[in-house]
Amino acid sequence: MATRGYRKGDEHSSDGIYRCVGSLTIARAATTEREIDLMPDGMTIDLSGVERMDTVGAWLVYRAVRDRGAKVEGASREVEGLLEQVREADKPVRVIPEEEGSGFKRTVGELGEYVVDAGRVFHGLLGFFGAVLIGFWNVFKRPQQRFRLNAVVQRFDVVGVRALGIIGLMSFLIGVVIGQQGAVQLRQFGAEIYTINLIGRITVRELGTLMTAIMVAGRSGSAFAAQLGTMKLTEEIDAMRTIGVSPIEALVIPRMTAAVIMMPLLSFYAMIMTILGGGIYVWVDLGIPPLTFVQRLQEVTPLRDLWIGLIKAPVFGFIIALVGCFQGMLVEGDAEQVGMRTTAAVVQAIFLVIVIDAIFAVFFSSVGWI
Amino acid sequence: MSTSPTLPEGEEAVIRIRGLRNAFGEQVIHDKLDLDLKRGEILGVVGGSGTGKSVLMRSIIGLQTPEAGDIEVLSEKMVGREEDEAKNIRRRWGILFQQGALFSTLTVAENVEVPLREYFHLSPKLMDEIASYKIAMAGLPPDAGPKYPSELSGGMVKRAGLARALALDPELLFLDEPTAGLDPIAAQNFDELILSLRDKLDLTVFLITHDLDTLYAICDRVAVLADKKVVACGTIEQLLALDHPWIQEYFNGPRGRAAAAA
Repeated sequence: MATRGYRKGDEHSSDGIYRCVGSLTIARAATTEREIDLMPDGMTIDLSGVERMDTVGAWLVYRAVRDRGAKVEGASREVEGLLEQVREADKPVRVIPEEEGSGFKRTVGELGEYVVDAGRVFHGLLGFFGAVLIGFWNVFKRPQQRFRLNAVVQRFDVVGVRALGIIGLMSFLIGVVIGQQGAVQLRQFGAEIYTINLIGRITVRELGTLMTAIMVAGRSGSAFAAQLGTMKLTEEIDAMRTIGVSPIEALVIPRMTAAVIMMPLLSFYAMIMTILGGGIYVWVDLGIPPLTFVQRLQEVTPLRDLWIGLIKAPVFGFIIALVGCFQGMLVEGDAEQVGMRTTAAVVQAIFLVIVIDAIFAVFFSSVGWI
Repeated sequence: MSTSPTLPEGEEAVIRIRGLRNAFGEQVIHDKLDLDLKRGEILGVVGGSGTGKSVLMRSIIGLQTPEAGDIEVLSEKMVGREEDEAKNIRRRWGILFQQGALFSTLTVAENVEVPLREYFHLSPKLMDEIASYKIAMAGLPPDAGPKYPSELSGGMVKRAGLARALALDPELLFLDEPTAGLDPIAAQNFDELILSLRDKLDLTVFLITHDLDTLYAICDRVAVLADKKVVACGTIEQLLALDHPWIQEYFNGPRGRAAAAA
């Protein structure tokens, strides 16, 4: 059924009549609106030829009557009813929340809000840190009742064992890259042999732990935030509280424990895999046999480097789990928040890990562990 | 009038379901299910938990592919169609999901505009006006327009969902437990709203509900899901005359009698 709206006379004529024929529905709304806009004020809208009208068509007619002083002719009973419908429902509604102030003012305001927000998050994180310490203390006091062995073991599996594949592969490839880049540069001085120093020291002291921390933050920190956030949304955490189970003890402490214990183990494993990758590279490219590689590695990499690497690991694990759980507990309202908080958990965890790594580096060099 | 779920030959059905079979793995939800929906009626669908009321609705609107059977909506086949083929049908129905299913990143008014944007090129002003009167028609106050779904109460979420369902002036409206989770006053208001909208806008309504008051207040016919099919469909008086155990227990239990007395 075609809709045809046409004007009789031209738009300047005072007796402009707009005739609607066929169906006056949403499908033709854009055209109808344009055509009515071209008509002079006080037009007459002839609806006698309308066979089908919906509320959008009725709205267009009603609007012309309301704003342009149009008169309606030839409306059937149903059409009258629809016009009445939209007249009743005519209440102006804003579509998006009102924005206040000028662009500059808003920008400054947003910046201020952002700073206040950041301060609040940091404050909250400190508070959460305290709550976690109290939780650990409670568990420590009465481990028989409070320590949830099953939950912890399950987290060991998820955080540690299941990460072996990806962390191993990543570390191996990083070893190859370090070996290759080192060999290219050092070859210019005829000092390819120092590639082994490079691989050994950078891996054990820094990269093994740091890369593992980044991977754990991406894998487990995000998962913690998403899990706790979803539980918060479905009111599981509230239910837990009302039953008398502390969510910190039941949910946070197993995750923290798992992260703190698994990080050094995974880091050590990552170091081994990186050295393996580097070793294979220097064997293939530089022709240094594995036995020589291991011997040389032992000579140039002090055991102290290993301690430095491994001391940092549980601290990183703690930070990652703390931030992940904290962000998860902050979720409120809707599902979108879960995604936002998960992202924030990963970004903040990696940021804090790197900050703390820098502090460690300064600390160790000032105590003479170079 | 019989209590057969199918209409007599020749009568126009807005929805026609024949031999529908739905199963999840071993578990058969529907088997040889038949049902017709008359134009202009409000059909209530009832059934115990797990009898597949929502699955039935999802099959009709194409979110669930049945194992067997034919479904026709507004004379168009729904089973075995590609998603974009059935787009014309999607313009002619509106759906209110149980939890509202509002898009959480958009305001209520923007939610109502989504279907308008998808199908039509309207001027922004006209679109905002359409959203406004749809929101008012759904019984929401004007200040609900710029709010986000997370800022709404349960009853307002349902009304906002209804406003979105009505965006395209549908002929057919699907409501999945519209009054679940509402207080009795809000539920009663919602019932009245649906009834008045049906009368004013010539809607045909497919209504899943557990609410006996809703059944008595607004449903023209009630379809009873049990034993994997629609065992009976008719007015409540007709259903009461049957001696199906579930129907008797449902309508003659204490709640059923209370609702009948109201």
